Amino acid sequence: MNCSDIGKSICNYLGYGKAEPDENVRRLISECLAELEKIHGFKYQYKIFDRVPAFLEKEPYSSFLNGCSAVILCVCTLGAEVDRKIKYLERADMRKSLVFDACASAYLERLADEFEMSLGKNLTYRFCPGYGGSDISDIKYIFDLLKPEKIGVTLLGSNLMLPQKSMAGIIGVGKTAKKTCDGCINASSCAYRKEGATCYGSEKK
Amino acid sequence: MLRLGEKVIVLDGATGTQLEEKGLFGCPEDFNITAPEKIREIHRSYAAADIILTNTFGLNAIKYRGEFSVKEVALKAIESARSAKKSVFFNIGPTGAMLKPLGALSFDEAYSAFAELAEITKDLVDGYFVETFSDLYEAKACVLALKEHSKKPIYVTMTFDSSGRTLTGSTPEIVANTLEGLGVDALGVNCSLGPKEMESVVKRLLAASDVPVIVEPNRGLPVLKNGKTVYELGVDEFDFYIGKFVEMGVGVVGGCCGTTPEFINAISKYSGREVVRRAVAKKTAVNSATKLVGIEGVKICGERLNPTGKKKLKEALLNEDYDYLIDEAVKQQEAGADILDVNVGIPKIDEPRVMAEVLRRLQEYVDLPLQIDSSDKEAIEAGARYYNGIPIINSVNGEERVMNSVFPIAKKYGAVVLGLTMDDNGVPETAEERFSIAKRIVERAESYGIPRHKIMIDTLVLTASAEQKLVKETVEALRLVKTLGVKTALGVSNVSFGLPNRGLLNKTFLAMAMTCGLNMPILNPLDGEMTGAVRAYAVLSGEDENSERYIEAYKDFTPAAANSTAATRREDKSASTLYDCVKKGIKGRAAELCEEELQRSEPMEIVDGVLIKALDDVGKLYESGKLFLPQLVSSAEAAKAAFEVIGKRLPKNGDGDGLVVLATVKGDVHDIGKNIVKVVLESHGYSVLDLGKDVPKEKVVEAYIGHKPFAIGLSALMTTTVISMEETIKALRSVGCSSKIFVGGAVLNEETAREIGADYYTKDAIEFAKVLNALKNKD
Repeated sequence: MNCSDIGKSICNYLGYGKAEPDENVRRLISECLAELEKIHGFKYQYKIFDRVPAFLEKEPYSSFLNGCSAVILCVCTLGAEVDRKIKYLERADMRKSLVFDACASAYLERLADEFEMSLGKNLTYRFCPGYGGSDISDIKYIFDLLKPEKIGVTLLGSNLMLPQKSMAGIIGVGKTAKKTCDGCINASSCAYRKEGATCYGSEKK
Repeated sequence: MLRLGEKVIVLDGATGTQLEEKGLFGCPEDFNITAPEKIREIHRSYAAADIILTNTFGLNAIKYRGEFSVKEVALKAIESARSAKKSVFFNIGPTGAMLKPLGALSFDEAYSAFAELAEITKDLVDGYFVETFSDLYEAKACVLALKEHSKKPIYVTMTFDSSGRTLTGSTPEIVANTLEGLGVDALGVNCSLGPKEMESVVKRLLAASDVPVIVEPNRGLPVLKNGKTVYELGVDEFDFYIGKFVEMGVGVVGGCCGTTPEFINAISKYSGREVVRRAVAKKTAVNSATKLVGIEGVKICGERLNPTGKKKLKEALLNEDYDYLIDEAVKQQEAGADILDVNVGIPKIDEPRVMAEVLRRLQEYVDLPLQIDSSDKEAIEAGARYYNGIPIINSVNGEERVMNSVFPIAKKYGAVVLGLTMDDNGVPETAEERFSIAKRIVERAESYGIPRHKIMIDTLVLTASAEQKLVKETVEALRLVKTLGVKTALGVSNVSFGLPNRGLLNKTFLAMAMTCGLNMPILNPLDGEMTGAVRAYAVLSGEDENSERYIEAYKDFTPAAANSTAATRREDKSASTLYDCVKKGIKGRAAELCEEELQRSEPMEIVDGVLIKALDDVGKLYESGKLFLPQLVSSAEAAKAAFEVIGKRLPKNGDGDGLVVLATVKGDVHDIGKNIVKVVLESHGYSVLDLGKDVPKEKVVEAYIGHKPFAIGLSALMTTTVISMEETIKALRSVGCSSKIFVGGAVLNEETAREIGADYYTKDAIEFAKVLNALKNKD
């Protein structure tokens, strides 16, 4: 994978905004990405639904899926070893654990994006429960329908996923849509936006 | 009659695929009761196989969500499987939940679910087929449950991905070493991959263990057609690979997802063929879930997790402050240890409970295999049971009583045992006498079914100051016990006790012992001279080919850094003052420069004049966007290292004074923000009690009552967990909490903080420290 272009998201997660990291941090980022490449166990599970599952028949999902011919539900993860490595680094080298954590987040987004390109061109972005005022606990419906324990992802009682470097999402088929900050509960106080950036990497619109 | 290991055994094919063919959709296990005739038809269609598996893959109390009781379904399933008139193995799949710490399920809960199945079926089936497990720890729970309730054969297959690892990161070698250790009858691989993709895993399993190997591939990799997953591999190609596996030495073959009676009919021709013999070199190896360490050449066992003579560790164990132990473990791994010794034996401690808990906590962070060091039989068993892997047990000796109590545990859990060459009469003087005890230990172990490669011998180091003449006996004994075909260990640093310049004696003795065949010195890995001697020996003995590891360790070597454990970083040299060190975030030099500074200044002068000033300057740069998170954390870590030095010179603070309790609230697992707060507060000289993440409110209240801290910091990242933050605050208020309550996290702001009853909201770690400092000064 070409990692150079995820450097921007990584720096974004680390709070650099428009600034450039110094040479030490840059070196650390490449070191972390090389280690990630070695230890990650990326898995992507999905299912295509011709009929919209019942839990999506409400806002904001209806608007998001408006005009779509089908829906893809997906869960993906970097696997248990990445979580464990971050934990280890928290003790061994706090600075590196921060950088590694940011690299892992960006890496997961990238691998998921790449995988989704193989699913077709006419797709929306991954809409995750919690976006646009939706209820984060809707994630449990995705788990019921996909049973992603097969790829090692489970849901805690509080609807958070383990391993931590996992994502669950809803993708509309038959139209394209790009992420925006509209409807984000954090939009008014978001630290990324103050820096002129977004949490999903692209420039603020 | 099945002749496992001698004649090839053929298993049946997929059940799920056949159910769908027959129009049965829904809970597959329930069809045992609602459509028994169809289930029998499926079983009979596989009658060409030697073993029929019951239709019970999803049947366990944790996973099964059908209409009936587990027992009803199990009994019916066995009855139906019998209709094919072949051997019937009870099929057990995983619980579907992940075990802690990767998920929420406890080892004991998983064990109980499998034990229930064993209890119901033990007299009704011919064996157990445990399949499609992706977590070795869960497989261990299952095998123990079966072994402790039934005497029937146990076959276990795990599922690997194309990179040759299980979901939880275990390699075929780790799986083989662990399952062989637990005494399964056959082990192997199934599901996820087609036969072609499985080949390398099969090869590795065959080379790693002489237990019969099972291969049960899917019908190739699935392809997506019209939104449905279908398998398209042809019978001939499937058969070709199965034939190849049989030639490689596989003893049990079958089909997983997508296979049909046609496939099993085709491969049934291998049934009854002689299993191809293979020579497997027996190696002494220990493993965690993700790391296998072969005891070859010289491997370092870190000795620092042993409370003997270590006041801080004793205190930590008594206070159940396991964070201290984790830090010690991580330090040793960083310094180059291969295995870690774990001893929690102090008076008035519940050793079995603490041993199990400490092992559980350590393996969340450190992937090195562990050595259970105890003289308490119960503690050894608790450790071996809850350890996720194959540990070393330290130790037995030549005393009958000790051997008879420890060997059964070692056998049951597959542990490697360290045997000390002493007995009721103490440590014998001569090498020959020690050798004869070693021989006795090895023979007695063999009578318990423990092979030689599972035994290591420690010929015992006596101090040169008291028993000078006996030092060479220890070394000579090493040479002798090697002839028994076992590996050796020594606690090397005992040799120098009572003499000056101990390091020199230790290093020299280590070199002598390695030359005579020492495999595992137990030493302090933070002593760079000792680990260095091991690295150097690996070069000189030819084990470190092309000196690769040596060069990697010393490529940045400078004579000045000779005594430090890690090579000094380039940037370290640019900081000449403590202030610079903190500002530039150079942790390695901070402690050293602080020591120097203490020669000249009073501790408090350094705190106020240098450390706080540097941290303030860093904080300002951070707030103005001129310096960023990674640097902020480095500075905090450097300041923390300096504070640790100063802390030793300052009188201890009163109870709770300067203590901050931190927790990520119940339900939330994101703790990176809390961890940053922790290191920044520590860098300002606060002591932090970190309760971790997903912390129930009761635990926070308990910490408040027990410590009466100056402040409590709660973190939550998700809107959903802010509720649990509010509940925690309520619980604290209800016990009259007088500590200042701080909250933080991505979804919080001033307003929410007020609403949920917090005293302060701080947007980041720097602000947290600032507010705390201001409050302290007011006091």
